[in-house]
Amino acid sequence: MTDTLLAIVHMAIFPGGFFALALGFLYKALDRRVEARLQRRIGPPLTQPWLDAAKLLTKETLIPKTACRSAFLLAPVFGFTGMAVCAAFIPVPGVYSGLFNMGDLLVIFYLLPIPAMALMLGGSASSSPFGALGFSREMLLMLAYETPLLMILLAVAMLVGKGLGAESSGAEFSLLKIVAWQQENGSLGFNPAMIPALLAYLIFLPGTMGMAPFDVAEAETELLEGPLLEYGGPLLALFTVTSAFKTFVVLGLGVALFFPGVLGSWWPVNLVWFVLKCLALMLLSLTLVKSACGRLRIDQAFRFYVTVPTALALCSLVLVWLL
Amino acid sequence: MTSTAVNTFSIPLGPVHVALEEPVYFHLDVEGETIRKVELTSGHVHRGMEAMATQRNLTKNTTLTERVCSLCSNSHSFTYCMAAENVLGLDIPPRARYLRVLAEEIKRVASHLFNTAIQAHVIGFKSLFMHTMEVREIMQDVKETVYGNRMNLAQNCIGGVKCDLTPELLSYILDMVDKMEPGVEEIRELYATNSMVLGRTKGLGLLPKKDALRLGVVGPVARGSGINIDVRKDSPYAAYPELEFDTIVNDGCCIHSRTTVRLNEIFESFRLIRQCCRRVPEGPTKAPMRQIRAAEACARTEAPRGEVFYYIRTNATDIPARLKWRVPSYMNWEALGVMMKDCKVADVALITNSIDPCVSCTER
Repeated sequence: MTDTLLAIVHMAIFPGGFFALALGFLYKALDRRVEARLQRRIGPPLTQPWLDAAKLLTKETLIPKTACRSAFLLAPVFGFTGMAVCAAFIPVPGVYSGLFNMGDLLVIFYLLPIPAMALMLGGSASSSPFGALGFSREMLLMLAYETPLLMILLAVAMLVGKGLGAESSGAEFSLLKIVAWQQENGSLGFNPAMIPALLAYLIFLPGTMGMAPFDVAEAETELLEGPLLEYGGPLLALFTVTSAFKTFVVLGLGVALFFPGVLGSWWPVNLVWFVLKCLALMLLSLTLVKSACGRLRIDQAFRFYVTVPTALALCSLVLVWLL
Repeated sequence: MTSTAVNTFSIPLGPVHVALEEPVYFHLDVEGETIRKVELTSGHVHRGMEAMATQRNLTKNTTLTERVCSLCSNSHSFTYCMAAENVLGLDIPPRARYLRVLAEEIKRVASHLFNTAIQAHVIGFKSLFMHTMEVREIMQDVKETVYGNRMNLAQNCIGGVKCDLTPELLSYILDMVDKMEPGVEEIRELYATNSMVLGRTKGLGLLPKKDALRLGVVGPVARGSGINIDVRKDSPYAAYPELEFDTIVNDGCCIHSRTTVRLNEIFESFRLIRQCCRRVPEGPTKAPMRQIRAAEACARTEAPRGEVFYYIRTNATDIPARLKWRVPSYMNWEALGVMMKDCKVADVALITNSIDPCVSCTER
């Protein structure tokens, strides 16, 4: 009973739920703000994502006459639920160690594509041709960036599994153990064999977040936001909330996989340290890349993902296997 | 046949679309991501300007024609004034000829930079868009300081120019051009070397020279397809015969070659602006008005987008019996069909932007 209660608290308040949302919105605002500063603009205030979401909530829900009503309504809920659950699995090193200590890496891998699937579902249910095009682009891109992600996770799991030796059976899929092992034996981000995997993860981030140069599915100047075109009001707000959760999840996962180091044992310090590490990861892989790039065409983006990050991740996987 | 019917679907692009500055409607038949057929519908911004021109007197029409278009506003009043002067038999003073060229080239720099910036916007390169617009802002400041307006300069009038430039203003323009040139140089290098920009523009939206000649395209679109035409050289007007500049031609025939032509033309415009500021002769800026006779005349100039042609017929009253103009976008428009053949959905907005369409001019 207490376990269930605790799980609910983790999903609703910390680290999922409110905490993930607040952090996700903060990162989204900082991302826009830093990008604006890089372009010599002022940028929106840090409260802007909250204001946007609040305004969307007051708006009317419009459903296209030709849309598939149930799928159109359920898609954002589906994406939101997936990410809200996923956020509870993200460990905050030194503060919170994850929802359960067995195979949660695999659960995260299965939960991560859910927002993209929700987008595809919503896009195709909206009956708009732009939604349909966005659907096909999103699917193509997802196939391309999920492969390197799987290899990265495998490389991490194998390396830690080898490190633990007899305690584990080859590969270790528990984030708790992965984090604990790294805290004892040094972060994987500094391990030469894992540097290609880290780079691959940094490249994976803009793709999964749908940001430039890989914002092909929502491409504003081509597809007018693609799958999101017909969405408005609370449903669109749900998509932005999902995206904020996802920001927290992918950044938190990056920190857990590569830099889970802690500063002492006092939890507030570790919490701030986690927030800063996520922020650094975001600025490096999302904001800077976004402001230095234009949008690729879908064929270019697909070709890029099946070559560069896949090769990098494979490189790490082979290195881990050999060493 | 049934298989194509299943595979293709149609996409409405426009009339309101983020990547288009003005309303125009594309009906695209798409197979996957590839375009199979393009149908273009326009007419959303028809304002009946040619009819309005036959209800106003010659002087008021200068103001009206300046409002045909925004980015090449000066070219319209310029050409209209030339046509009106031809019909009146006026010869404008040398100082006015130089000042007209000066205003025209300032507008050309701003127009070309605007189009280049929009290209960056269409490919989602926001930083490059902001940077190009920031450099363009210097030219906007020049317009505001010298003429008092950022878009419509209101410099031309029948018989000469309205605003005489003091030596201080001329040296201010020279300073600003010096300040702007390194910025444009940097932008030119960025567009020539950035792999993101090249990957989206090079070898796309092809308009072979043969088709360009067949369709009679004008301006940077023609010059980007290797055709050496420029009204400023081919039928010199105002002060152009006395000034040195080159016609930029590029054989690439693609989106990138049109951008290259525009960016290089900016440097030719800088050359012209410098020459105008240094060589402008002293004297009056306006010729006195003459008796209006019943006659007809025409004039043509090189606007930023290509050749602008004006025809005027008067019937001995101050209200013209007919005023008709043909704008460059009207000619370049048709080339879109060739450029968009079998292109990707992602490239439609990019190709449209590459002809620098001016919908308001064309539909007026």
